[in-house]
Amino acid sequence: MTSWAMLESTVTLLARGALVSLWLALASLATGTGLAVLLMAPAFSRFGLARRAYRLFVWIVRGTPVLVQALLVFYALPALDLRSGPYVAGVIVLTLYLGALIAEVIRGGVLAIPRQQWDSARSLGLPPGALLRRVVAPLVIRYSLPAYVNVCVMAVKASSVLSIISVWELTFAAREIIERTLAVFSVLGLAAAFYFAMCFGIDRLGRHVERRLTPGDFAGERT
Amino acid sequence: MLKFQRWLEVYGAGYVDGLAWTAVVALVSAAVAVGWGGALLGVRLVGGRPGARAVDAYVQLFRNVPVLVPIYIIYFGFPLVGLAWPAVVCGGLALVLQNGAYISEIFRGAHKAIDRVQFDSAKSIGLSAWHTFRKVTLPQVIVYSLPALGNQVVLLLKDTSLLSAIAVGELTMRAKLLTEQTGAAYEAFVVVAALYLALVAVFEVGFGLAGRALRWP
Repeated sequence: MTSWAMLESTVTLLARGALVSLWLALASLATGTGLAVLLMAPAFSRFGLARRAYRLFVWIVRGTPVLVQALLVFYALPALDLRSGPYVAGVIVLTLYLGALIAEVIRGGVLAIPRQQWDSARSLGLPPGALLRRVVAPLVIRYSLPAYVNVCVMAVKASSVLSIISVWELTFAAREIIERTLAVFSVLGLAAAFYFAMCFGIDRLGRHVERRLTPGDFAGERT
Repeated sequence: MLKFQRWLEVYGAGYVDGLAWTAVVALVSAAVAVGWGGALLGVRLVGGRPGARAVDAYVQLFRNVPVLVPIYIIYFGFPLVGLAWPAVVCGGLALVLQNGAYISEIFRGAHKAIDRVQFDSAKSIGLSAWHTFRKVTLPQVIVYSLPALGNQVVLLLKDTSLLSAIAVGELTMRAKLLTEQTGAAYEAFVVVAALYLALVAVFEVGFGLAGRALRWP
């Protein structure tokens, strides 16, 4: 950094990149959570084939690097004649990736519901809709919130990978500035600080929500 | 199908090369990261309060920053201070630093799971600190942490793909090059994805076997 003006423009540029990163993460978390909820249908299906298809999907998404998925979608979308650009490709990739992760989180939450809860709900004769809304959903949210917060942090970190498929976000902005100024340590250090602030902030916020949502006498097991 | 066969003849060697790079980088980084994670646990255990604070800060830092940032810092930054290391060393170091942080947390959890009584017993039969560590702590930490360690190593394996961004000739890099040479974009990446899945499966089976071999009788 040679001057204050340069430092100022660097910080502004990185802050704009950080906003894009955050936006990418939040948008993909929203769509990914939606996908995960839909995935619960095959995950808890009566049909073995549907359950197996779900396992296969999760295995493939979790067994391959996000970067490979990103490159695949980035190159495959134009081949399918969808001229969408890197942002759409980026959100699609993160949606699939986070969707698979969140689906496993929710599935774990459902599996953690004690047997007695199911039994008592059944003995009360709750209809399926009420069972889901009044018994399953509140418990699953409490059980899976810690893991879900982790996935939210991973979303911000995973968005950095999209810089490689030319999505302009924090990491991309940092590289751009480095190529012009060679101020590697200060620029990437600042980028790291922005990432840290976002991830740490999400983590703290998540823990706060967790405490608010968990009543003092909640008997569930904490993980 | 014939086209695919021809394609395999021409480009197969590149994939094998890339696969070997990915596997070697992942294994070496994982081994060093386990050592580093163990060292961090050591600092936490013998360093008192300041040691624990320092390790906590280190872990928080690396947990909340994407690994691509340390990769770039080391790869682009170290030559500026006179450390012109090969790209694969820079990338491997970044992977070690980040995964070491996660692994030290895994070890910490495993260490917590050991019953305190065992340390009292070790003292009562006159074991030295070093002997207690070697014969009581370490074996149990390894066994308790093995499942989580397996997960972490698979994550590390997948993160080696990021080294393609600093021109390390691993699997993802090969696929990128092939795409540029042939224009056959998603074929190249489907093959690479399948190879990663195979590697992940091998690692998972390996850790499963290790876990079974080391289980208490």
